[in-house]
Amino acid sequence: MRLRNYFLIAGLAMLLVALGFAFSPVTAATHLTGKDEAGQPVPVTAVENDACLACHQNPQFSTTLGNGETFNLYVNPDEFAHSVHNERNLNCVTCHVGFEPAMGHGLTFGSRREATLRMNEVCGQCHATQARQEKDSAHAAARSVGKMEAAICTDCHTAHAVQVLKDLSTGQFLPGMRTWIPQTCARCHSAIYEKYRDSVHGAALTDESNPDVPTCIDCHGVHIIEDPRTSTFRLNSPQICAKCHTDAKRMQKYGLSTQVLETYVADFHGTTVTIFEKVAPDAVTNKPVCYDCHGIHDIVKVNDPQKGLAVRANLLARCRDCHPDATLNFPDSWMSHYIPSPDKYPLVYYVNLFYKFLIPGVLVPMGILVVMDFTRLMINRFRKPKHIEKVKTTEKPEEAAPADEVKLSAKPEKPKSTDEEAHYD
Amino acid sequence: MTGKQEKTTKVQQEKTFQRFPVGQRWEHLILVLSAAVLILTGLPQKYRDFAWSQDLLSSPERLELIRQIHHIAAIILALEAIYHIGRAIYLMARRKLPGDMLPVWQDVIDAGHMLQYLFFMRKDKPKFGKYNFEQKVTYWVLFFGFAIMGITGFVIWFPEQFTQFLPGGVVPAAKLAHSTESIAATVFILIWHVYHVHIERLNLSIFTGRLSEDEMRTFHAKEYERLTGQASKNAQLREKK
Repeated sequence: MRLRNYFLIAGLAMLLVALGFAFSPVTAATHLTGKDEAGQPVPVTAVENDACLACHQNPQFSTTLGNGETFNLYVNPDEFAHSVHNERNLNCVTCHVGFEPAMGHGLTFGSRREATLRMNEVCGQCHATQARQEKDSAHAAARSVGKMEAAICTDCHTAHAVQVLKDLSTGQFLPGMRTWIPQTCARCHSAIYEKYRDSVHGAALTDESNPDVPTCIDCHGVHIIEDPRTSTFRLNSPQICAKCHTDAKRMQKYGLSTQVLETYVADFHGTTVTIFEKVAPDAVTNKPVCYDCHGIHDIVKVNDPQKGLAVRANLLARCRDCHPDATLNFPDSWMSHYIPSPDKYPLVYYVNLFYKFLIPGVLVPMGILVVMDFTRLMINRFRKPKHIEKVKTTEKPEEAAPADEVKLSAKPEKPKSTDEEAHYD
Repeated sequence: MTGKQEKTTKVQQEKTFQRFPVGQRWEHLILVLSAAVLILTGLPQKYRDFAWSQDLLSSPERLELIRQIHHIAAIILALEAIYHIGRAIYLMARRKLPGDMLPVWQDVIDAGHMLQYLFFMRKDKPKFGKYNFEQKVTYWVLFFGFAIMGITGFVIWFPEQFTQFLPGGVVPAAKLAHSTESIAATVFILIWHVYHVHIERLNLSIFTGRLSEDEMRTFHAKEYERLTGQASKNAQLREKK
């Protein structure tokens, strides 16, 4: 009896495991790829990559699409051989789902972009997170309003030469891959890339493969790339810069201050921007954020002789964007991220010092005096009845009169005329 | 009329002395109201990190509104200050300015006397003139406090204009001074002025314009003696002991 129970439990457990396998994503994927539109199983394993390449490795292999475009169907076998997908033993048909051996493989496209867009949906089969993130990106938003040229997976990652960008164990970019990022974005955003490449960040990346400088994705995000033209992005942007510029470890290599955010937030502009960031993230404001003065992609060192903000004329030009009446003294109203000291902004430093002493030095003694005065006042209140008693017995006022009136009547005689008021101002 | 009634009537015929003419009472009212508005609209701008402040400054329009109210109150207070100083200069030019509010050496002596009283080293309070040293301290601390607030306020309101002839560093200095002085002045009013006119005794003479004879005798004995030629209550009590 007992033994039978054990068998039953063991049997149920095995059944559960088997079911788990049957519905697991790994097996589910083969289900997906293994069926055509009618749901009929297609012998997937039978379609080896060599079979595809037999035709597709011919560079002249192409077809004409509905709109008259010539669609090149060539796949470079070497490129694919070195791609991560080949290294992980993925077949052509893993991505090219719905394959049919017939002419055109059962696929018809109006245009090349349409073909790419449709194929692009396959990436999400395995890369579900990235595909979902991409759907919230500025690129997806642009496509949804008909700008079909906005980037999709293969525009950045390529279709057949997909590379591993990160060391999967450490999450760090592999050598050379950080440099690859701006070049990839540059395929569409070339004008911005030109600016970036000459900036302090871009030059360090291109020339020295500096690991500390940001690439495009460090500010704009990857996959879920936000529209940088919104008020929300603008109000949040100081935090983006602050990610690195308040990191002491990173900044001390270059002798840069980590107080840039703090000093910005303490001043007029930063104060307003941070309030809005918290309470009204979509508020439209012209209060400058980091990039209004330092540049968006063409950020240079502050001591750059041409564009650096340490050159007063350059800073004044920035001020005048919003303060057209500003004169040469005006840029000094902004303390250039300095903490006031006897050398830098001494006036501010000494005003601060003055109040540091004045407030405790004056208000605290005053508070003590008030407390002492109050104590004495209370003590006098307790003693007062005696006083009145004394006066009462000596002066003998009316028995009905209350205390206050007693006091009055106890006084020496008043001046007769009440009209004789003292106007002595 | 019975004798008793007559006596009661007599007792209630309290003589009052004018302390503030109507102009000064209006000045004080304008000062109180505009300063209160300035403090209330200034605090959320200073304490922007606090939730209550951010609730108030929830949108650019709201911030702009609060700043505008602050600026309007500032203009009213500035006009009041100009009137106050202008009037003083006018009276001074005609040698008619009463010097009651000017600090004199006697105030230092009175303060020392008061300190001895507070330390139980003396039993009597000093005899004060029209304004005692505490009131003079209030006036002059706020006089210079408002001067600092006014000047620095206009510097940070019109930085472009002021930096035409002043170095740029005055703007952050003015901002710091404006923000710090406001707190110093507010705390000063709350502990010093509020104590002396509300808690120590309720002194509403700045609104009514008058002090009773009793108050005159008790708190402004010298002034009372000067005006009436009579000994004050303090002196009288001392004699009795």
